Amino acid sequence: MSAVYLDCNATTPLEPSVAEVVRRFMEKDYGNPASPVHDFGTFARMAVEKARGEVAEVVGARRDEVIFTSGATEANNLAILGLAAHGLATGRRHVIGTKIEHKAVLEPLEALTALGFEVDLLPVGSDGRVCVEELQAVLRPDTLLVTIMHVNNETGVIQPLAEIAAALEGHPAILHTDAAQGFGKDIFPLQSPRIELISISAHKIYGPKGVGALVARKRSGSPLPLRPLMFGGGQEQGLRPGTLPAPLIAGLGTAARLAGRNHLERNEMNRQFRARALAALAPLKPTVNGDPAYALPHAVNLALHGIPAARAIDALKDLVAVSSSSACTAGSTETSHVLAAMGVPRCTADCSIRLAWSHLTPEPDWAGVVALLQSIRTEFTHGG
Amino acid sequence: MDIFDELEEATNYQLAHGDLPVWLAEPVLEVARNRDKYRDKEYLIELLLMQVREYDTYAEAGCCKWAFDWEDIKRSLKKLLEE
Repeated sequence: MSAVYLDCNATTPLEPSVAEVVRRFMEKDYGNPASPVHDFGTFARMAVEKARGEVAEVVGARRDEVIFTSGATEANNLAILGLAAHGLATGRRHVIGTKIEHKAVLEPLEALTALGFEVDLLPVGSDGRVCVEELQAVLRPDTLLVTIMHVNNETGVIQPLAEIAAALEGHPAILHTDAAQGFGKDIFPLQSPRIELISISAHKIYGPKGVGALVARKRSGSPLPLRPLMFGGGQEQGLRPGTLPAPLIAGLGTAARLAGRNHLERNEMNRQFRARALAALAPLKPTVNGDPAYALPHAVNLALHGIPAARAIDALKDLVAVSSSSACTAGSTETSHVLAAMGVPRCTADCSIRLAWSHLTPEPDWAGVVALLQSIRTEFTHGG
Repeated sequence: MDIFDELEEATNYQLAHGDLPVWLAEPVLEVARNRDKYRDKEYLIELLLMQVREYDTYAEAGCCKWAFDWEDIKRSLKKLLEE
C-alpha cells in the first residue's frame, strides 16, 4: 500500500474533470488566446473568459476584475508591490500586515520597507487569529494597504476578514487578502466588496500548478492604482504581460466552478475525516495548535509532545505523507514563525506536524501511524 | 436545475429582455432541449451559457471585448456539432 497523502495545504491532487479540461487545451485546442484571428485562438480566448467568469463568481466579482497570474505568490507580489508607486506618489507609505503571513507576503512587505514604507505586522493570539482592535490601534490616515491572510497555511485558522473589513469602513486603505488556502473552501467572507484585492491559487483547490489570479475589484467604478511588475505585452489589462497559459487557466476555472458548487459537501466530508483522524490519534494525547473552532475542516496542526516532527515525518513516510510547521533552510531547522507568533514554545513547535486532507483522500492506516509514533516517543523519552 | 435547463432559461430571458435574435436563439434552444445528444459536452454547453448570458449585439465595438456577439455563439454551436 502506498502512503496516503496528507499534505493538502502544500498542494492538492488534480480533480479528474479538471485534468480532462487541461488536457483538452494542451493537446487539441492549443491556440493562443491573444491570437483571436482564427478558430484556434478564438476558442482559447473563450476558454480564458469562461475561466475568468468562473473565478469571479466564487468571490462575487466581475469578470473584468480577475487578473490571471502564475499563482498566489505572483498575485501577492502584484497586490503589494504593484501599489508602491501610488503610495510613493501620494505620500501614503504605511502598510499593515500580520506576523503569520506566508513568505509570499512577508518578503514583498520587506521589499516595501526598503523603498521607504513603514510596515506594521500585527500579532496573533494563541488561537492563531488577529485581533481587530490591534488593527485599529495601528491604522493611520496614511495607511495605504492592509494585507491579512484569509486562512493560515500552517494551522488552517480562518482570520476575521468580515470584522477587519468592517473596521476599515470609511478608511481609504486598500484591503488585500492572500486567499491561497481559503479560496473555494470558505466561500462567503471573500465575497465582501470591501476586500478589494484577493490572491488565489489553482493548485490548492484541485487545479493545476502554475496558475492563480489576483482579483482586483474596482473602487467606485475605477480600477485600483496598481502598476505592473513586468513589461512586454498588454495582456491582463496591462498588469501581467505574457502569453496566457490557456490550459492552466481553463483548469483553474473548472476547479473554481467545482469548488463553488461542491464546497459544502467537501467541507462535510473533511469534517468527518477530521473527527476520525483526531479520534484515531487520541492515544498520543496531541494538542491542537490554533483554535479548532476557527479552523477549516481539512487541516489540523498537532503538537505530538516528545516526538520530534522531523523524525515523525521521516518515519511515517511509507504510511502517510505529512509535513511539519518548520521550514528547513540549509540543513538547519527554523522554528515556524506562525507558531512562534502564536506563543507556542519552541519545544512544542518542533514536535508539531501538519495534516491536511481532501474529499479525495482515502483512509490511512491510523493504527499503524499511532504505533509508529508511540515507538518514536518511547525511543526519545527513554533516550533509546 | 441542470446546465441544460440553465441554458434554456438564459436563452428565453435574452429573447424576451435582451437583444438575442430569434435566428440565433433557435439553434441554442435546440441544444438546450437535447440533453441526451450533448450530455458529454458539458464544457461547451457551459461556454455557450456564458455567451448567451452576456450576449451583446455590439460586443466587438469599442476598445475592449467584455461581452459576446453572434459570431461567438455561432462558433460554439459549430464546435458542438463538430465534436
